Amino acid sequence: MFRKIREQEQTISILVNNQPGVLSRVGGVFGRHGYNIKSLCVAETTNPEISRITLTSESDPDFTEKIKKQLDKLVDVIEVSDLSGQAFIQREMMLIGVTIKEGTQSEILRAIETFGCRIVTMTSDYFILEITGHQDETAAILKFFQSFGVEETNRTGSIAIQRNRPRAKI
Amino acid sequence: METIGADIIIQILREEGVDVIFGYPGANTLPLHDRLTNSQIRHYLMRHEQAAAHAADGYARATGKVGVCLATSGPGATNLVTGIATAYMDSTPMVALTAQVSTSLLGQDAFQETDIIGITMPITKHSYQVHDVNNIAHTLRQAFELAKTGRPGPVLVDLPRDILASKCEPAEKQSASALKTNGKIVEDPEQLEKIAKVLNQSERPILIIGGGVKLSNSFHLIRELIEKAKIPFVTTMMGIGSVDTTNGYNLGLIGTHGNELANKMVHQCDFILAVGTRFSDRSTAQIEEFAPLAKIAQIDIDPTSIGKSIKINLPYIGDINETLAALLPLIDEKEKSEWLQRIDTERDAIVQKLSDSGCGQAGDIIRMVQDTMPKETTVTADVGLNQIWTIRTWRPRGPRSLITSGGMGTMGFSLPASIGVKVGTPERAVVAITGDGGFYMNIQELATIGYYNLPIKIVVINNGHLGMIRQIQYHFYNGRFNTIDLGRNVDFVAVARGFGIQGCRIALEEDPKCGIETMVNSYGPFLLEAVVDPENYVYPIIPPGCSNIEMMYERLA
Repeated sequence: MFRKIREQEQTISILVNNQPGVLSRVGGVFGRHGYNIKSLCVAETTNPEISRITLTSESDPDFTEKIKKQLDKLVDVIEVSDLSGQAFIQREMMLIGVTIKEGTQSEILRAIETFGCRIVTMTSDYFILEITGHQDETAAILKFFQSFGVEETNRTGSIAIQRNRPRAKI
Repeated sequence: METIGADIIIQILREEGVDVIFGYPGANTLPLHDRLTNSQIRHYLMRHEQAAAHAADGYARATGKVGVCLATSGPGATNLVTGIATAYMDSTPMVALTAQVSTSLLGQDAFQETDIIGITMPITKHSYQVHDVNNIAHTLRQAFELAKTGRPGPVLVDLPRDILASKCEPAEKQSASALKTNGKIVEDPEQLEKIAKVLNQSERPILIIGGGVKLSNSFHLIRELIEKAKIPFVTTMMGIGSVDTTNGYNLGLIGTHGNELANKMVHQCDFILAVGTRFSDRSTAQIEEFAPLAKIAQIDIDPTSIGKSIKINLPYIGDINETLAALLPLIDEKEKSEWLQRIDTERDAIVQKLSDSGCGQAGDIIRMVQDTMPKETTVTADVGLNQIWTIRTWRPRGPRSLITSGGMGTMGFSLPASIGVKVGTPERAVVAITGDGGFYMNIQELATIGYYNLPIKIVVINNGHLGMIRQIQYHFYNGRFNTIDLGRNVDFVAVARGFGIQGCRIALEEDPKCGIETMVNSYGPFLLEAVVDPENYVYPIIPPGCSNIEMMYERLA
């Protein structure tokens, strides 16, 4: 059950009934099978009765297939799709708080412009930056600013959508 | 009387064909219990909620209908938990109704409040808490639909007291089911043809019959398949009783407590057709060494049961009844093969080696009980040595005639389950076999049996010990026995008498026949205490971590 072979990042997108207790049922399936959730994003879809859960996890694809079947059995789960097997767009947002030390201000501002991030708020010695992008990008940008002194970070976790036009709309 | 939520429950239960509930009242169930009084539903008052769940389970297993149990909030609900888990593991269709504190008190740690939805989440197919009296009908219909469709299982409906007591209109007649179809079943004729082809071409095929055959009522089709393909079969513990086991193709039970013939032939076969089984660890033992020469085809309605523990070459998701009906015409009519002759030779050799079928004097007693009881008898077995003795000795002569807790292995199941069996199938004789350990666990149900005067024949096989654990300690812990001695200080016959039930004690060496006949000829309930030696173990057994063919017949040096 807790086998760790051929681990790779899996992105799963789940449509569920927008009701109390549903997230704990979905989470329970992962927990019971010893499957750690790396990131989790939940929001209402354009249909307020339905929510979309996007989650990522590191696991081998066979195991993900088993989890998918288990999720499919939940009454409140409408559809499970494993995006890892297809072309998909992935984004996450990160907020980071960075200290400004003497003489670093102009370098920081240049970097912000280069990376295309946005300053949310700024004082003379501290600013908060909003970074949006693929998780590889956000990670690279975070790494860059760490050399200046990152005080705090928070990230949304991945959201994802398949690249091609879906067959039927929900 | 004005219509309230409780009336809607009774209305839907009747609509679903429920005429029996096993339950226990409490302050929060009272609106419902009050309205049950004048309904056409019989409420059996058990002496413990766990027993109510087991009785509903036994009722469902014996009848094929959905079993219903009812308990109050808090401790009533938590007492159901073992029973619900037992039903879940063996895929019993069950609806568990629990009362809950009023909605205004939810989450306030009110008296007898517990989050039973949270507690039972991993052991139910689904659960509902009703927050609006107008949703009761829809929710309950869904619960029944869910409990009995797909792979069956328990569904819990939690009913706050104020919802039960709220005024409302009678429910409208059922409209089309709004339930999502459970696990989309895809018909795949090509895959069936492949399965048939491999079966037709195989030289040494074996059929594994699991509990799904019972659950889908495929008794006739599975028999047709066996006779047409001349295919020998083994059963899992849950599959026992699906086919008349005396028909010559039966190799017995597979797995860690199985028959040598069954395990040996599975190890040698070149093709397995597995029907309605999930290849549990008890069936396969060491999975890497299970059936090393075989291609495996698996038919099951539950996609998560396919290939869960073992690689499947030919999976097929579908209702077993429908699938077998489609498969049968594709199967070649076979003559008796060399494979069957080889099996017969093996069978003779094993019978020579193990004349008592490995169950000792306890097996003899069970055999005598079956021979004395009417042909139409249903037996419930508990868990432990008594269970293995029973399933290895009792020859089920019809569908649903042997009932036991397989997946969960719940001690104390047999006695309360027999109540459900007797209530569900009053025309059949019912024997509840239990060990002394399991008997203690729900001994209070003697009161229920006595009160309703249910003519259940209770056979307590008393070895004064937790026999199966004793055997494990004997073999694998160098005989260092501990925490298994239950003593001989309790007089079960006197206990039974105290509950208003007649009884007698027998031992194999002191004319057991007389006692067994007294039991069988008695009019009402009867308790037979059969005293056996604590060293009456069961053989062969598979040591933990070993493969199905590494059978032990005696203690390792």
